[in-house]
Amino acid sequence: MISVRNISKIFNAGQPGEFTALQRITLNLQMHETTVLKGPSGSGKTTLLGLVGCMARPTTGRILLNGREITSLPERFLTDIRRSTFGFIFQQLNLIKGVSALENVMIPAYSTGEKFSLLRRRALEKLDMFDLGKRVDAKVECLSGGEAQRVAIARALINNPAIIIADEPTAHLDSKLSHEFIGIMKVLKAGGSTIILASHDPIVYDSDLADRVVEMRDGQIVSEEHCP
Amino acid sequence: MVSVIEHHQHILDFTISSLLRRKGKNGALLLVYTLIVFILASLLFFTNALKREATLVLNEAPEIIVQRTLTGRYQTIPIAWGERIRKINGVMSVRPRLWGYQYDSVFQANYTLTVPAENPPESGSIDIGSGISRMRSAFPGDIIAFVGHDGLSRSFTIRNILDSESQLLTSDLILLSEDDYRDFAGIPLDQATDLTLRVRNPGEYITIAEKIVQMYPETRPILRSEIQRTYDAVFGWRSGLVMVIFSAAALAFFIFAWDKATGLSAEERREIGILKAVGWETSDIMMMKFWEGAVVSLTAFLAGTILAYIHVFFTSSALFAPVLKGWSTLYPAFRLTPFIDFAQVATLFFLIVVPYSVTTIIPSWRAATIDPDAVMR
Ligand SMILES: Nc1ncnc2c1ncn2[C@@H]1O[C@H](COP(=O)(O)OP(=O)(O)OP(=O)(O)O)[C@@H](O)[C@H]1O
Ligand SMILES: [Mg+2]
Repeated sequence: MISVRNISKIFNAGQPGEFTALQRITLNLQMHETTVLKGPSGSGKTTLLGLVGCMARPTTGRILLNGREITSLPERFLTDIRRSTFGFIFQQLNLIKGVSALENVMIPAYSTGEKFSLLRRRALEKLDMFDLGKRVDAKVECLSGGEAQRVAIARALINNPAIIIADEPTAHLDSKLSHEFIGIMKVLKAGGSTIILASHDPIVYDSDLADRVVEMRDGQIVSEEHCP
Repeated sequence: MVSVIEHHQHILDFTISSLLRRKGKNGALLLVYTLIVFILASLLFFTNALKREATLVLNEAPEIIVQRTLTGRYQTIPIAWGERIRKINGVMSVRPRLWGYQYDSVFQANYTLTVPAENPPESGSIDIGSGISRMRSAFPGDIIAFVGHDGLSRSFTIRNILDSESQLLTSDLILLSEDDYRDFAGIPLDQATDLTLRVRNPGEYITIAEKIVQMYPETRPILRSEIQRTYDAVFGWRSGLVMVIFSAAALAFFIFAWDKATGLSAEERREIGILKAVGWETSDIMMMKFWEGAVVSLTAFLAGTILAYIHVFFTSSALFAPVLKGWSTLYPAFRLTPFIDFAQVATLFFLIVVPYSVTTIIPSWRAATIDPDAVMR
């Protein structure tokens, strides 16, 4: 379980540009469930995902991951947790240009010192899963939008993370590719993954993928509904 | 343990593919770097090889040379003077020498002609240096002609091509018999070019020199230590020039390394952010940057050093020989004997590869402290 307890995030605290992005948020996310964060631009969705995903620390409050308090851990442990527990799919995809699809997928695993042949095989499996078997050696900038997104998903899955975090995954996709993305997430969900999505795209939050939709506004949760 | 190696290898692999994708930028970097190493290494090899040649010259030089001057200008010396000089206490032997220079206007080259003390060629035959052999395509058994002091041409059969440790010493050398040299240079039978003395006790050099001048006021005794000083002066001047070039290249290197150290492009920062976000540790990023510096500087070091070696020992330092050398006008120029002082190569390595590898880490240290969530915005 991911337990977010009373967290706030204040950017530039004490400085002229002080800004409270999250205000005393409390939220419990069950494992193996899919949660969608929705809300208007600037409501704090990305900020919350970053805190949950160990990318940054809250200003106040605590986050527990399966009962373990992560907010006060040193940087090195956070990196470890981030790498082994979370798979990120970024809005900007954030693939490394000039490098092949295969290598992009393997990058998050380099830090583990796993044997190259095993790692490569696993990366190829992930790419195959998304019909990218023929594109493994292509440089990422040569891929189509849909292919690039699938490479980004494959990269998020390379370390077999328990939790997948995706920020505005459909922002750059047309409806067809957006539905395709939902389809992939459903497969992962069926495989037991915990999924957290931030989106203001109805295709995402109205889909039957979501077990729970959390609506945010001005850094606060305004509603939380469970989908049947 | 295995996984540590594997870990490094992954990061090195990634570093290399990441270097390869910015071919233009990294290629230019490598080129500049290689060029600087090339200049520094060339200078190093060149001055070292020249110094070694000079040491060889000095090792063969006699303890005292006696010349005769007339109104301050050099003259041949009567051989009979040597008889009296030998009687001075402490002088072990006196040998009259016959040697001189000859300018060949056809080939625009200077030759050094010498009558060797040991194993001189028979009358009518000569030994020539490899430089002359190359220039005139003359080989043992061939007949070759030189114009003597009277403008008349004389033919000789080549006995040998001189092959020596020191190309500088023998490249432009012609060895011939005493009779031939006297005829060629027009030196009378009772005269010699100069006299060389063997003296056992270095403490006596100065007294002996004084006695010689008392005996024959027209003579000028030259001590080996004075020759040494002349060489040092010549090399001092040359190495001064070398230092100027050396420091210019070193300065260029530091400006270049500094620029590299302080500049980290927006794209590189973003990539470091991505790597951190997907789970790379700060230490992994530093390792990557270290490998990046190490790969670039090692490649440049190897390429630059090898090119410099070829430049100095196979093309006769074509690029700066005209500035530095100047004492042999023989064409094609002599080749320095390949000689490398590994201590100096190691110094160059530590001055170049190590600081560069380290400076590439500095900027990534700063970037590595960037919050990974920056890439989410
Ligand atoms: N590093 C930062 N410094 C200052 N303000 C920030 C920073 N990061 C985010 N903010 C502000 O916090 C607020 C919440 O941002 P956040 O990115 O979480 O919103 P969001 O819900 O993801 O919006 P969008 O739908 O546009 O992605 C925004 O007003 C943003 O300007
Ligand atoms: Mg956002």
